[in-house]
Amino acid sequence: MVRLITHNLLACHVKGCTSNNFPLIFKDVQVELREAEFNPDFLKGFMPKIEWNALVNAAREVGDTSLPQEQPEMLDDDFLKSLHHVLLEIHVEEGSMTCPNCQHVYPISNGIPNMLLAEHEIG
Amino acid sequence: MAPNVTSTVVDEKPEKYEGNHVHDVYELIASHFSSTRYKPWPVIASFLSTIPTGWIGLDSGTGNGKYLPLPLDRPNCIHTIGMDRSLHLLEIAKNAGGSPREVVRGDVLGKGWRNGVFDYAISIATIHHLATNERRMHGVQRLLEAVAPDHGRILIYVWATEQDEASKRVIPIENQTSETGQDVLVPWVLASASGPDQKKDANAVLHRYYHMFSQGELTALVHGAARTLGLKVGPRCDGRDMGVEIVQDDWERSNYYVELRRWKND
Repeated sequence: MVRLITHNLLACHVKGCTSNNFPLIFKDVQVELREAEFNPDFLKGFMPKIEWNALVNAAREVGDTSLPQEQPEMLDDDFLKSLHHVLLEIHVEEGSMTCPNCQHVYPISNGIPNMLLAEHEIG
Repeated sequence: MAPNVTSTVVDEKPEKYEGNHVHDVYELIASHFSSTRYKPWPVIASFLSTIPTGWIGLDSGTGNGKYLPLPLDRPNCIHTIGMDRSLHLLEIAKNAGGSPREVVRGDVLGKGWRNGVFDYAISIATIHHLATNERRMHGVQRLLEAVAPDHGRILIYVWATEQDEASKRVIPIENQTSETGQDVLVPWVLASASGPDQKKDANAVLHRYYHMFSQGELTALVHGAARTLGLKVGPRCDGRDMGVEIVQDDWERSNYYVELRRWKND
């Protein structure tokens, strides 16, 4: 499966594409919502890794507007539950992700994103 | 009689050789292969059980995702993302352990991540499928680049030329003291479909390419990759910005493995 937790880590790696290569932009997505076990300790530990704007925008691209634009300092339970939902319960089954810099398209099929490059694209 | 492991020479462009003798084969044998790979190895299980809650990791060459559910006694405390070339194996990995897992189709020499974003990375029985020393070193380099410069942890496991008695593999070693390991083709006998006549298909043997590592060879790759990245190899010390410590360097059940930890001085 691919959820927004993974999307927040992915960047374009086409040869020469080294700036503005993150985040990849979702297009034509089909999503499924599936409940996942809530673990606030994981979320608190993971918070420093999150590129917040990228996450908020990606959530909007897949139809969710529950996250605040600014990353909050207080991690209260309501916020953590929203964060949990956005990171771990929105499964992107089909669609694609496009690099904002070089426009390379990474397809997502059957829940699996394809980050493979053609031989001439490899750095 | 079971077919033997045979020595081989990589006689085409390495990407093409790997395509024919690794990737295409895994796509064909995926579900049978997966059914034989279910028991987590203790050193790897132990490595994952010491990962702190909230950490995220990369399983580079995840295969059927055997390690994605670990540690079993702390479910959902860490998240490991499985990457593999084989679509068929990923389709199994994406539900490893009966829960949805994060999986990505990719190449271990690729770099589709934010630099240093992972807290840990594991590479289990994967870089021995890379067909040249240079590519194997790049594989180690990619693991070092994937993890956080100040605390990233890495565990790498590869097949060894030294096999133990429990191993089902007999390795033809051309030069017993070779420091550069041995390239071999390892047969895989496809499980025959059970039918009324129970005849085995005479053609159902596929061969996978492996580079069997000799003692010290994996550590040499770590040194080479570290050099390329400007990392000192050894415990944290003054006078150098960044480095990687070799925490463990050993042999277990026919595999060489290393555990690494990156460090950074502010």
